[in-house]
Amino acid sequence: MTSQTLHEPAIELANLCKVYSGKGGSRLQALQGVTLAVRQGEVFGFLGPNGAGKSSAIKSIMGLITPSSGSVRIMGQPATDPDSRQPVGYLPENPSFYDTLTAEEYLLFVGRSFGMKWVTLRQETERVLKLLEIWDARKRPLRSFSKGMVQRVGIAQVLVHDPAILVLDEPMSGLDPLGRALVKEIILDLKSRGKTVFFSTHIIADVEEVCDRVGVILNGELRAVEEVREVMAAGVHGYRLKIRDTESGEIEEVTIHRPALSGYLHGLTPRKEILLMEPVRRNLEEFFLELVKGAAAPGPEAM
Amino acid sequence: MRFVMFITLKGFFRDRLVHGLLISLVFFAAIPSLSNLSMRQVTELSITLSLSMISVLQLVLAVFLGGTSLWKDIERRYAFSLLALPFSRGRYLLGKFLAVALFTLGVAVVLGCVTCAVVTIAAASYPPDRPIVWWNLLLAIGMDACKYILLSSFAFLFATVSSSFFLPVLGTLAVFMVGSASQGALEYLGSSEAATMAPLFKRTVSYLYYLVPNFSAFDLKVNAIYGIPVSGRGMILTLLYFVAYLGAVISLAMLLFSRREMK
Ligand SMILES: Nc1ncnc2c1ncn2[C@@H]1O[C@H](COP(=O)(O)OP(=O)(O)OP(=O)(O)O)[C@@H](O)[C@H]1O
Ligand SMILES: [Mg+2]
Repeated sequence: MTSQTLHEPAIELANLCKVYSGKGGSRLQALQGVTLAVRQGEVFGFLGPNGAGKSSAIKSIMGLITPSSGSVRIMGQPATDPDSRQPVGYLPENPSFYDTLTAEEYLLFVGRSFGMKWVTLRQETERVLKLLEIWDARKRPLRSFSKGMVQRVGIAQVLVHDPAILVLDEPMSGLDPLGRALVKEIILDLKSRGKTVFFSTHIIADVEEVCDRVGVILNGELRAVEEVREVMAAGVHGYRLKIRDTESGEIEEVTIHRPALSGYLHGLTPRKEILLMEPVRRNLEEFFLELVKGAAAPGPEAM
Repeated sequence: MRFVMFITLKGFFRDRLVHGLLISLVFFAAIPSLSNLSMRQVTELSITLSLSMISVLQLVLAVFLGGTSLWKDIERRYAFSLLALPFSRGRYLLGKFLAVALFTLGVAVVLGCVTCAVVTIAAASYPPDRPIVWWNLLLAIGMDACKYILLSSFAFLFATVSSSFFLPVLGTLAVFMVGSASQGALEYLGSSEAATMAPLFKRTVSYLYYLVPNFSAFDLKVNAIYGIPVSGRGMILTLLYFVAYLGAVISLAMLLFSRREMK
């Protein structure tokens, strides 16, 4: 790998627009000038409410739909080139696979399509089927699989060829709590192995737990791209203190705004003992809701 | 591409298509006794019935297999994961088409063997007046298979631009009917009875003749039934016509499909 490709974004969307034209000349602007660079080796969460345009952006990345304008590049290669998908594993939303095949056969097909050697492919197929706990069902046709099991096959077919870039459209949907935890664990493991993970979700807690960065999309517009850690740190707007009066034994709880904290601490008499002090943070959820509400009820500057 | 072909073929076998074809063998089994009803031309009738039976089966396969195999991938959303694999859409389409073509050939081979058995049985019960020309029989079945492979390419072409299966299925049937009738229609236009027809109509029909494949060229039934020698030159020309036509239709289908939106 040259130093140039090393600094290249794994996925790059440049001014991406998508207009769906429906029957009777109706037009729907699903993406409005989305510009975004996903760095190599990061876990990027793509957050937005239903119908925001997440899947549309992801389908453009995979070359399934053609952008109305703008461009998509994967490791510097235009997404219109089928070769650009060689390092990419893709999980569609609500996936569906040839249901006459068995889970094992489907994974073998995917691996072969990526040019994997037969021996490695067999080992990897076994590994991912076991990892996703569908090993026992591997010989059954996919039509007999439950929704969550199909989702697991979907994740398995992404992992089987060990791609450098993973594009996952709602990877946790349809999974039970154990499955969700497993997927989060898998994403963290991928990150530790230097893989790039780009996934869409509308569940904020998922982003908090595994993402390095988050992009918030609303009505086809990318409204914010933030480091998750910074949102969490910047979100501390005050402190909750539990204070005991050493003489009376009375316990009181106070919440102090961040700027007022040092003044308050100076004002404490030696009789008061601080039992507990914890930050009160505005979490990612509030950050997200603020953005969403801001869009729904535009402020005067937006009018 | 070959992997797409393999899994598509696997799908055909798993879809109980083969079961359906096995059922058709029951009809073939009835052919020798049916042919005996004709008293005199037992062998000829058994050949006619077998070849017609094969044609009907292949027509059903071409229309439904060709017309639904691509449509189903899109309709059931298999295509989202398939088309995100690192090969072009053209290759995917080619893989699917090859699966249909190979299946058609396979069916032709199996039914060809069945026909030979059926005709042998029929001929044994009532020796034919003239010797059976087996070679002609096999050629007729082979050319028939080519005809239906060409027809399925139209089914694929329609499926690339359609989001329902009506266009592929009905469109393919229409092509089949026009293509089978076109030779006769053109000859009729050239005849004196057609002299009074509007020239515009005549021109439209002759354009259609050149646009839609001429399926009657593939028809060697008469040669097979009456043992009439097959013209080698005619065969080669028809095969060249087949290759060129098929290439054109599939290339167009690949082009259209690569622009299709998978939404
Ligand atoms: N095939 C289509 N034809 C017309 N409009 C579409 C099509 N697909 C999506 N849209 C519209 O584009 C917008 C974005 O849809 P998209 O599927 O990208 O949303 P999303 O963020 O993935 O939503 P969800 O969380 O529900 O999956 C929506 O308003 C939707 O109605
Ligand atoms: Mg979506």
